[in-house]
Amino acid sequence: MLEVTDLRVRYGNVVAVAGVSLSVADGEIVAVIGPNGAGKTSTLRAISGLVRPSAGRISFNGTDITGWKAHRIVAMGLSHAPEGRRLFPQMTVLENLKMGAYLRGNGAALERTLQEVVARFPRLAERRRQRAGTLSGGEQQMLAIGRALMAEPRMLILDEPSFGLAPMVVTEIGRVIQAINRARKVAVLLVEQNARMALSISARTYVMETGTIVLEGPSASLRESPHVKAAYLGG
Amino acid sequence: MPIELLVQALLNGFALALVYVLVALGLTLIFSILGIINFAHGEFYMLGGYATYFGVAVFGLHYVPTLLLAIGAVGLAGVVAERLIFRHLRGKTLNAFIVSLGLLWVLQSGAQLTFGVLDKPVPSAFSGIIRAGRVIISVERFVVVLAAVGLIAVLYGFLQWSRVGRAMRAVAQDPDGAALQGVNIEFTSMLGFAVGCALAGAAGGLLAPVFAVSPPMGALPVVKAFIIIIVGGMGSLPGAVLGGLLLGTVEGIGSLFFSSAAVNVLGFLMVIAVLLVRPRGLFGAA
Repeated sequence: MLEVTDLRVRYGNVVAVAGVSLSVADGEIVAVIGPNGAGKTSTLRAISGLVRPSAGRISFNGTDITGWKAHRIVAMGLSHAPEGRRLFPQMTVLENLKMGAYLRGNGAALERTLQEVVARFPRLAERRRQRAGTLSGGEQQMLAIGRALMAEPRMLILDEPSFGLAPMVVTEIGRVIQAINRARKVAVLLVEQNARMALSISARTYVMETGTIVLEGPSASLRESPHVKAAYLGG
Repeated sequence: MPIELLVQALLNGFALALVYVLVALGLTLIFSILGIINFAHGEFYMLGGYATYFGVAVFGLHYVPTLLLAIGAVGLAGVVAERLIFRHLRGKTLNAFIVSLGLLWVLQSGAQLTFGVLDKPVPSAFSGIIRAGRVIISVERFVVVLAAVGLIAVLYGFLQWSRVGRAMRAVAQDPDGAALQGVNIEFTSMLGFAVGCALAGAAGGLLAPVFAVSPPMGALPVVKAFIIIIVGGMGSLPGAVLGGLLLGTVEGIGSLFFSSAAVNVLGFLMVIAVLLVRPRGLFGAA
């Protein structure tokens, strides 16, 4: 579904991503873990067209999307719930969800998706008239995921969905990601600093450090890797 | 003081202030979407005035269709300015400041060369007065007020409920977030710039029969618009409307006591007063 080959991203003279290759198959959950500043977010921003890669190739569903503008990539069926959520704080919850379906017009299909999304996140239904900026962190994250789902994507990119959330909420977010993946056959590329959660819900994991992939494999076996244990799971 | 005098003064103040609100709304819309302040905004007001002059006084069209054509024409001029100039200045506040000052002089001098320096009167399409007790308003001013309120309402509805309007708000609040929902940032910015210019053009067309048109006519309304925006809060549409009503009140009541030159100072005193208490303006975001 997604094939990234030797991706490089630089900001001026600073190299953020130094040759990353990764892939996500249909219906698969793939995680990327690694410390702050490893280039995880830059990798995602290049995939969804927010930054132009300086080299490498990105293909989605067999189409070369390298260097495309973000809005064209969304139209291909790739939705990205970005780092920091990037909600529209002055808009209501409902307006934020409608923005997620921006490319889909205003038909009955949209209403059905809306019902599905609020059924998955009942809190969003309760707060539909409230401004997004006034929600709690967990609610904001649910809105960010719900907004991405409104586009009926074939693949979902999630950047640090657990950031700043209480452990119980993190577990809930993890469950929701698995449920979405199973119910809708949506492939998921999940970037996390919370390695425990990422390893427990994904099929495969890449470990990224200083701009490159240093380790990859089935999540179950990476959980036993001495390097992952020492660096990411607290020994 | 007789109450009629007060009502009359407020009415006079509001009539003009509401038109300046249109100018301010365009300016603040462009600021929130592109992150730039267009100092040549008053020149789009001037273009609206001249378009109206040509339609009514030169080609003999009726005022109402002329006004609509003028709004469209200035909107198109906005598209051209965005494509050629402002798109490259997105978020570069200082560069946009310098370039738009340059554009101001180009458009004003261009208008002097093309249309001459003399004031050109635009015949009014509406005559007569409306009288309520001792309060009097000319039909012409009354139409100006109705049109301004109507345009403010249309803009509000457009931004609040239309798909494209919502996308404009999204771009203003978080451009990356908007792009990730499938919003074409460049196209939406161009549209926002055009709508902003069209509002200035509408204001110029509305006041053309009231004041006559001339190349530097955009200077005063844009100053009023800045007062309105600074008082209301940069980037806030409700703030601009409130700022306009405050300016109308202050200038209306001020006109009872001071000369018209002194009244122009009152707006700036209001700016100083508001900024001392609330540096972001009344509705300004953090």
